[in-house]
Amino acid sequence: MTLEGHRRSLLRRRRRRRLRRLLALALLLTAFTVLMLRGYVHSEFLADHRVRPGAPFDRVPEEVREGGPVVDAAGPRPVGHRVPDHMIVLTFDDGPDPEWTPKVLDKLAEHDARAVFFVTGAMAARHPGLVRRMVAEGHEIGLHTFNHPDLSYQSKPRVDWELAQNQLALAGAAGVRTYLFRPPYSSHAHALDNESWPVVRYAGSRGYITLLNDIDTKDWARPGVDEIVRRAVPEEAGAGAVVLMHDAGGDRSQTVAALDRLLPELKARGYAFTNLTEALRAPSAHTPVSGPELWKGRFFVFAVGVAERATSLFIAALTVVGLLVFARLGLMLLLARAHGRAARRRAALAPEPVTRPVSVVVPAYNEAECIAHTVRSLVAGDHRVEVVVVDDGSRDATADIVEGLRLPDVRVVRQANAGKPAALNNGIAHASHDIIVMVDGDTVFESSTIRELVQPFADPAVGAVAGNAKVGNRDTLIGAWQHIEYVMGFSLERRMYDVLRCMPTVPGAVGAFRREALERVGGVSDDTLAEDTDLTMAVHRDGWRVVYAENARAWTEAPETLRQLWSQRYRWSYGTMQAMWKHRRAVLERGPSGRFGRVGLLLISLFTVLMPLLAPLIDVFLLYGLLFGPGQRTVAVWLGVLAVQAACAAYAFRLDREPLAHLVSLPLQQILHRQLMYLVLLRSWATALTGGRLRWQKLRRTGAVDSAPAGIAKPRHMQGSTTV
Amino acid sequence: MTETATPSPAQPPGTGDRASAGAGRDRYLDLLRALALLRVVLYHTFAWGWLTFLFPSMGVMFALAGALMARSLARPGSALGVLRGRIRRLLLPLWLYGLVVLGVLFAQEWRPARGEEAALWWLKLAFWVVPVGTPPFPMRIGEDGGMLDAGWAQQAAGPLWYLRAYFWFVLLSPLLLKAFRALPWTTLLAPLGLTAVVGTGLVEIPGATGEAVRDFAVYGACWVLGFAHHDGVLYRIPRYFAPSVGPVFMGLGLWWSARHPGPDGWDLGDIPLGQALWSFGYCVLLFQVSPAWQRLPERFRRFDGAITLANNRAVSVYLWHEIALIATVPLIDLLWRIPAVWRSPTLSGLLENSYPVLMFLLVWPLLAVLVAALGWAEDLAARRRPRLWPYGPYRREDEGAKDAGREDAGRAGESRTDGRPVGGGTGAGAVPGARGAVGEGSHRP
Repeated sequence: MTLEGHRRSLLRRRRRRRLRRLLALALLLTAFTVLMLRGYVHSEFLADHRVRPGAPFDRVPEEVREGGPVVDAAGPRPVGHRVPDHMIVLTFDDGPDPEWTPKVLDKLAEHDARAVFFVTGAMAARHPGLVRRMVAEGHEIGLHTFNHPDLSYQSKPRVDWELAQNQLALAGAAGVRTYLFRPPYSSHAHALDNESWPVVRYAGSRGYITLLNDIDTKDWARPGVDEIVRRAVPEEAGAGAVVLMHDAGGDRSQTVAALDRLLPELKARGYAFTNLTEALRAPSAHTPVSGPELWKGRFFVFAVGVAERATSLFIAALTVVGLLVFARLGLMLLLARAHGRAARRRAALAPEPVTRPVSVVVPAYNEAECIAHTVRSLVAGDHRVEVVVVDDGSRDATADIVEGLRLPDVRVVRQANAGKPAALNNGIAHASHDIIVMVDGDTVFESSTIRELVQPFADPAVGAVAGNAKVGNRDTLIGAWQHIEYVMGFSLERRMYDVLRCMPTVPGAVGAFRREALERVGGVSDDTLAEDTDLTMAVHRDGWRVVYAENARAWTEAPETLRQLWSQRYRWSYGTMQAMWKHRRAVLERGPSGRFGRVGLLLISLFTVLMPLLAPLIDVFLLYGLLFGPGQRTVAVWLGVLAVQAACAAYAFRLDREPLAHLVSLPLQQILHRQLMYLVLLRSWATALTGGRLRWQKLRRTGAVDSAPAGIAKPRHMQGSTTV
Repeated sequence: MTETATPSPAQPPGTGDRASAGAGRDRYLDLLRALALLRVVLYHTFAWGWLTFLFPSMGVMFALAGALMARSLARPGSALGVLRGRIRRLLLPLWLYGLVVLGVLFAQEWRPARGEEAALWWLKLAFWVVPVGTPPFPMRIGEDGGMLDAGWAQQAAGPLWYLRAYFWFVLLSPLLLKAFRALPWTTLLAPLGLTAVVGTGLVEIPGATGEAVRDFAVYGACWVLGFAHHDGVLYRIPRYFAPSVGPVFMGLGLWWSARHPGPDGWDLGDIPLGQALWSFGYCVLLFQVSPAWQRLPERFRRFDGAITLANNRAVSVYLWHEIALIATVPLIDLLWRIPAVWRSPTLSGLLENSYPVLMFLLVWPLLAVLVAALGWAEDLAARRRPRLWPYGPYRREDEGAKDAGREDAGRAGESRTDGRPVGGGTGAGAVPGARGAVGEGSHRP
């Protein structure tokens, strides 16, 4: 490749990687934005529920305090107008509400009355159809701010913002803007004080007419239909009035019923129900909006609509995830019990124990840190073995170290660097026995591991056996998390898959295969990044049974940094996806292959590929609940789920005879480790969607696991004491 | 930036025993202390309550001081001598501060209480000398609109609670340390329990005594945690343990704070139990991270000088920053004399809104002047040659003389490699050099 070409391909790769990262990020961001928008129009933040108590009123002009409810504060001499006699302007605040506003509109239409609706921006954006209907039926719309704060507490920019957002929602919903305004918590003109007057004044300076009221029915307190009707009638017969009612904010059935009596009664007394500008013979308060402003409004209302619908979708998805999580847990627990029973029965029925020697293949690449421990632990076991260490072109002294051990029955095969699958195949070719155990170069066996691992081969139908990989370096936080994950996830999962006969992976760290099975499936393939999963699936499809030997414990060194963990899991999850794709035809096939395809692949895709994809929703909702409430309930639900997880974990630890101490990290594991895992999965998805092949990323080894009986755990196992 | 390990020629008695043995300051702890001071000044300028969550300075300061105290008490020599040295370092700067503050107050015609309260007043005045309690100060003095704000004395007395609490902690440390060694977990967690009793209104102890007990309870867990850090307890327990439980305490603190917000909402200063839990959990994490830096890492290196200064003048910065803040206001007020400013509504509005920012900009030069002029008291208290401006990269000469925050990095290092059971007790931590020795290889080149 030319230098230029090399650079170009580098650039392309980098661009693709960036694209992938962007894709994953965009997904999460979209979900969060949608939730934020929903929170925004549900007044779940920026909400300010303070209401100012009364204040002195010496700075409110006399003309205004003694004047009418229609306050024009634009000029240097503010003035309050009154509604003419025999006119009533009904005003409805805080709507539109999906339940009550239509009923109010129906009543008004029934009695041929018109009114003024002071809508909040949040409600208007959520129910644009109702706003359109108000305008179409001749009612007038006024601004009631975006989310109903007491404006006397707010800064001028915030007041501007409240009004602008309110207009935006109105423009988007009905295509008009209005010059009518009513501040939240306002009352009569003579109730204006030094704190509330500046708001009216400021609105006036912005060209708004502020409409206060003459009569407050206080219908929001639900005083009874009679009382509302009584209050709504002007004391002085025939006097005009602006009447305040509400069409939102709770049960408004009394308001609707009161309208049904009020309208005919007052009509009979000669009153007309008009909107404000009709009453004052002024030009309509509405101005049509066009151009960019209209589109901005429409976009806003549209986005809010999407958010409203999307959140119900989210909630549905969350329910599905929740059900899946608990179904999986329940299934795992149930089948884990069954597995224990079945394993005991199998052991009892076995004609005679498997004692013939087996071959152990150890593919090793730069394993100088651990290889000596690994090999020693293999030959120190209580089963006769022949060990074949395949040095895959290591740059360190891996091969020399093994040779330097001078152990009988241990051979070293050197090859040029060709990858793990090739090393395994090479090792199989050099192995002389018919049962082949595969071990990673960083894994240490207990003395009984190989014996336990090969016993299931007494059953001629068994083609492969998965061992129980354990985290050796579990003392660090990240090690403890993985330990929990191994015991609770992998170990429990393998029991379930064993019973269901669809074990997806015989781990590379500790597994055994029948040579015949390996030969029939053509050895280890390098088609995927998870060659162990690929191989296991192939063995299944060939009709062999794959079982789990939980007592065949092997101590492996887990990644110690987040970066290593990330690349390991990325390889696993992307490799699993590759393997599933490779074996996708199994779904349609007959016989054991078809069975594995339809049961196994379904379960794997459900539990390890799809479910974690939806899992971030749980955390997005947790965050949302914490930010916008109900905080207490959110925390309670989360703690409840955590308690269930903890109980299951404790059970899994008991099954694996592990001390419970590490569970102290479970809460943190649930907030940090799990998120990391699904981010990995998201990235794998992004990789799969954008195409691309992953390099094998090798762990850096520290040699932290140097003998199987890792101090704490092993002796207890060996004594056979229960440790929980 | 050269750092030679020349032992100080003039090492004060009783402090040189470790310095020659290769111990240096733990610059990580120095960085924490500098951060804590920065946060205190920021908080007192802007009054942002969330800063108390971002970095619980007071808890961190007490935890660092606790570690230091345990270290001092571990040295040969009588506990009494240690206490005397420790208290001397606290009192001398306090006396200087008291002299200045009382001087101005008396110049402003603040007079002793008369009649029945007189005796008590004089007794309380002694708290300026021996800070076992809160000394008297006028809530308001002078007139509004004068050079000094009428409430300045109250602001100037703000930092005194810390010295009082510190004083009590120092006095009780020998006892606390004994208790800790006998019953480590109980002693560590008992202050949190005490806070739950006296800091939540469950039991209300009135007056200044109540305040003292509350402060002692709130920060007691942090102080004892300092002991635990010194004794290497955090390295003896499994490594996953502390980072797992630290956030639990913090979570409890958050939960409590959410249920019981103070008058300013989310401000730990007004939520004793929240403060105690959050600070404790936070310090557990900080001590867990504890990388024991002999030198600052490259990316912090440019702050080396400032961090040294902050550590050499910690008490002075803490005491005098309020005075510096008080002084910024009349200085900024001078801007009103510019006609263009008071004539233009835009400019005057702008000025009105930018007071905190201007204060923050101005407080540093003022604080520098105060520290340069009055910081020598710390050197004097430490029996060290007075220095004007102990700025610059950390040098050994500073060692042994300065104690607000000296930490024995060598000890931390030792216990890290020897004491930590790694990999199930297999001692893998003993080969830290092995990490990274293996190149990042690839099976698929």
